[in-house]
Amino acid sequence: MKNRLKVLRAERDWSQADLAHRLEVSRQTVNAIETGKYDPSLPLAFRVSRLFGKSIEEIFDPEEGSR
Amino acid sequence: MADNSLRDLCSGPQRDRRNQWRIMLWTFLWAFSFVAVTFGIKREWLPFGGALAGVIATSLLGVATVLAYRRFLNETDELRRKIEVEALALAFGIGLFGGLSYWLLELSGAVPAKGFVWIFLVMIVTHPVAVLIGLRRYS
Repeated sequence: MKNRLKVLRAERDWSQADLAHRLEVSRQTVNAIETGKYDPSLPLAFRVSRLFGKSIEEIFDPEEGSR
Repeated sequence: MADNSLRDLCSGPQRDRRNQWRIMLWTFLWAFSFVAVTFGIKREWLPFGGALAGVIATSLLGVATVLAYRRFLNETDELRRKIEVEALALAFGIGLFGGLSYWLLELSGAVPAKGFVWIFLVMIVTHPVAVLIGLRRYS
């Protein structure tokens, strides 16, 4: 599943560690989601959505497989 | 990024680090108690009642270790939980099926009889190795 997490994070000038802290997950989890190695659970996807003020569909794209 | 796997093993939210310390503490206490009771029984330092109390205490420390690990699994972030569960499945699978295969080989006389203790050692080693592999895979 492709996502815009890296772009949204860069727009806010946040590091992976900053975003991980805000989402209460590990930096590794953020990295794995950004690189498409791991798809977040629905609760985490909602947390990401709320944090960036965008809908889940605007951040995650299930149609474009990346693995 | 793959080189970060060892660092990631002990990183993550503060909640995870606190829970990992709890697991290490209970594991250390359990291991200390296990060794002390084993020596106490084998070298006959402990009377029967003392040995029984030692076995009960060791078992309770084991339960505390399992509960600490369960708490870690419940509270850790979802990727780490996935890695831990995959590692547990691998350790259990190797212990169970590898152990039973070895037992069949023992029955056939192809390998020397070593008992079942070594299976636990294999499981104990397999789990952290599998966690490290998982951390590298998702790094």
